[in-house]
Amino acid sequence: MYLYLYDSFLNDNKHYKTLSRIEMRLTDLGIGGKISRLSPLKNIKELISDEIRFGVKTIVAVGNDETVSKTINNIANYTDITFGIIPIGPNQKIAEALGIAPEEAACDILSARKIEKLDLGRVNNTYFISGVNIEAESQIRIEFENSYQIMSEANTCQINIRNLRPAFSSGIGPKYFNPRDGVLEALIEPIKGVSRSFFRKKTPSRTSVIPFKKISVLSKKSVTVRTDGQKILKPPVDIEVVPNKLSVIVGRKNVYF
Amino acid sequence: MFNKKEEFTSNNEIETVIGPSVNVEGDFVAEGDVIVEGKVSGTLKTDNHLRVGQSASITANVTAGSAIIAGEVNGDLKIRGSLELSNTAVILGDIRANTISVASGAVISGKCAVGSQEGAKAKSEKPASEKPAKDKILKPKEWKLAQNENEQA
Repeated sequence: MYLYLYDSFLNDNKHYKTLSRIEMRLTDLGIGGKISRLSPLKNIKELISDEIRFGVKTIVAVGNDETVSKTINNIANYTDITFGIIPIGPNQKIAEALGIAPEEAACDILSARKIEKLDLGRVNNTYFISGVNIEAESQIRIEFENSYQIMSEANTCQINIRNLRPAFSSGIGPKYFNPRDGVLEALIEPIKGVSRSFFRKKTPSRTSVIPFKKISVLSKKSVTVRTDGQKILKPPVDIEVVPNKLSVIVGRKNVYF
Repeated sequence: MFNKKEEFTSNNEIETVIGPSVNVEGDFVAEGDVIVEGKVSGTLKTDNHLRVGQSASITANVTAGSAIIAGEVNGDLKIRGSLELSNTAVILGDIRANTISVASGAVISGKCAVGSQEGAKAKSEKPASEKPAKDKILKPKEWKLAQNENEQA
């Protein structure tokens, strides 16, 4: 049994035709199910737990990366649930990485049911599938698995924790960013400042890539951590990988499997 | 040695990269290959290949499967396989490696032991036939006979 979670932005009239086409395609494929429209007034956690109690086995997020993130956080703790995505609109990095085509084409991918168990990341108690971005206002210290630490000055570098391959990773080899390898990757990139002098020495710009299972981010002042586009948390922040946490329906043309 | 252009281009085999903007403190243990271009202090261990860039500065005891070093290492190096020091390498510590290649201009300040430990042991152990025979311990009867022979002589 399928549950389709429509994000609130899909209530806009401009998406009406797209949704109608998708619903027709799902019916044709015999994978129609219950449709639930999300809204700020609806408690997604209660909604999902009720539907799972009534026998839902596959939950499909219809929307963008934020819809995926919201849904994952509420289904990650259920073991026998399969997760699917129907991408609509912009901001579709997760769906793209998993080889899921947008709109109607995603219905065929759902129907094919190529299921993979993927790792999830966890920031304190919040799950993420693609990655998190860390911005620090003061000096930041990252402790890796309680054995070594990395110090970084404020506003000198950008720290990205990745599970899925980011769009900007052209120079980084294919071994990295596998959501089934049981590790996350920390990308530490220096921020290129505006040069004050023409003769100023060029700053080195190589990205650091450090695979890990668990880290703690410590800072004296606040740290902004964005998980899959959502903004959260203050230090100390613990980030860890949760291997094989979620069964996801993926497309055949993805970069991993 | 390796040219600057060739340096760090084969990313497919690389597991961990410590870039120039990063300062690592503590016991850094990696399972795969490691490239260091930043600063490391503490200990650095990998079973695989280690590459230390020209701008890198390591203040640590280093253990690796094999290594190419172009930067500064302040500590002991223990390399199971081959060690390659480029002309910009500065090693302030003892080196133990199976094979070593040193470019002219490299600085080494410390003891250097090259060759496999098994080979060194085998050389130090001489074959049994070459060993000096131990003095024979005479029984009392033999001792008396020997004494008589000496008196007769």
